[in-house]
Amino acid sequence: MQLVVKDLNTFYGAIHALQNISLSIAEGEIVALLGRNGMGKSTTLKSIMGIIKPRSGSIQFNGNELAGLPPHKIAQAGIGYVPEDRQVFGNLTIEENLMMGQMGIKNKNAAGPKWTLDRIYEHFPFMVKKHGLKARFISGGEQQMLSIARALMGNPSLLLIDEPSEGLSPIIVNEVRDILAEINKEGVSVLLVEHNYKVAVYLAKRIYLMGKAHIGYENSVGHLEAHPEIRSQFLEV
Amino acid sequence: MKITKGHFIIGLLLLAALAAYPFFSGVVYTNLFVRFLIFALFGASLNLLLSYTGLLNFGHAMFFGVGGYATALLLEHMPNAGLLTALFVGASAGALLALIVSPMLVRVRDTAFALMTLALNQLLFIACLKLRGITYGEDGVGGFSIPPLNLFGLVSVDITHPYNFFYFSLCIVGLGLFLMWYTTRTPFGSIMIGIRDNPNRVNYLGFNLPFSKTVIFTISGFFAGSAGALFALFQNLVSPDAVMHIQNSFTAIIMVFVGGIGTFIGPIVGAAIMTGLENLAVRYTEKIFLFNGLLLIMVVMFFRGGFVGLYNLAKAKWGSK
Repeated sequence: MQLVVKDLNTFYGAIHALQNISLSIAEGEIVALLGRNGMGKSTTLKSIMGIIKPRSGSIQFNGNELAGLPPHKIAQAGIGYVPEDRQVFGNLTIEENLMMGQMGIKNKNAAGPKWTLDRIYEHFPFMVKKHGLKARFISGGEQQMLSIARALMGNPSLLLIDEPSEGLSPIIVNEVRDILAEINKEGVSVLLVEHNYKVAVYLAKRIYLMGKAHIGYENSVGHLEAHPEIRSQFLEV
Repeated sequence: MKITKGHFIIGLLLLAALAAYPFFSGVVYTNLFVRFLIFALFGASLNLLLSYTGLLNFGHAMFFGVGGYATALLLEHMPNAGLLTALFVGASAGALLALIVSPMLVRVRDTAFALMTLALNQLLFIACLKLRGITYGEDGVGGFSIPPLNLFGLVSVDITHPYNFFYFSLCIVGLGLFLMWYTTRTPFGSIMIGIRDNPNRVNYLGFNLPFSKTVIFTISGFFAGSAGALFALFQNLVSPDAVMHIQNSFTAIIMVFVGGIGTFIGPIVGAAIMTGLENLAVRYTEKIFLFNGLLLIMVVMFFRGGFVGLYNLAKAKWGSK
């Protein structure tokens, strides 16, 4: 297993936001984490990334303990994070945004497949023409792609992606979905938090479903598809 | 922007005008221009923090002051130290101070950051006032020997002559401004803008935020220190009131705002306007801060982009299509 999270507990003040979360991802796998709003999906990603310090539990990444480390150390270890609201640097150009993803990572050999500007441009052809354009002038879908590409520039072996299809039109959602599949083929594992059930089952082999602050279900996509009652228990509003 | 033949010619004409300036303007206006140059360098060093990294530093005079004191004290105690050595020592003192205060400053944000810089500035001001054994208190360090500029051991230029000092500071300030401008164009400049726009995101991309900020402070402190060192050489005197006073910090901030925040050239334009305004106002009243304050209020109320912003607006409206 590449990432093993065990009994993770995270608090927002007095609120016990994650209760004994355990999950794992094998190398090269796409795993989806689904659930209704406010169950703690984003908090799980933020806890893994060190943005919110978990109070207890362990996060093993390639056998190294990450729990308690600051975000930049976790990024250095080879985990890329694509946040929910994209957070591109609006006043930097596309190319400068991409270079920011590369500059921060010092140990360029430790992590996953190697990405260069050229390889990024192969996967994201729209960036070739727009590479000098400030990121605040590109569309939401393009910003999402840029956010993913920027995370890739750090050569991560695992990507944590928070709701990549949020607020995008169906055609763009499919583009983002296909890009994620391509990236996965290159050897990057993905932990995907999604609202869009179709995208999640298309990409992932295994699914975790979150109930209030805990993981309530874990199985293969096939099992979940065969049991609509589980779906309605955890996902339907 | 592409550099065309036209730019080249304009640049040459500008250089020629600058070279001829002292001979047309006389000593008083030559010295006024040097004052502008020093504050342009100082303002631009603050601008690295204010416009590029989004850090409101209320205590930038401490780097200026430490640079001035370091140069003055070096020449006071070692009159044989070279001119460029003295300048470099002043600049390095600014950088060193930045390194020392960084551990405190990089851990706080926003209001806490602004107040911390204010407090540090006051602390150093008081230290300069009270450590009489070293700084001569309120009198300051003055009358130290100003070494000549020695070029490759071939020519020795006496820079106590106002015209020579004009050319000397023009070179130093030009070099300093170019280096700072270049820094903002490098990938490191992207990190600064990234920290301004979204510090957390910079952190998730693997940057050690406190370390990156320390580097930025050190660069900014270096150039502020070099401006202070130039000031010491120019006035042949540094005193707490002249270099370390909080008023200098405010003047630099006002320059950035009046010139145009968010641009590289802003503080340079601001320094020119403020120096010119001071020179006019001082003929009628001693309370020149009345005018500075009024100008700042007008800028903040009516044209936030400062004079550079006004120029851009005018260009967009009437400029060539």
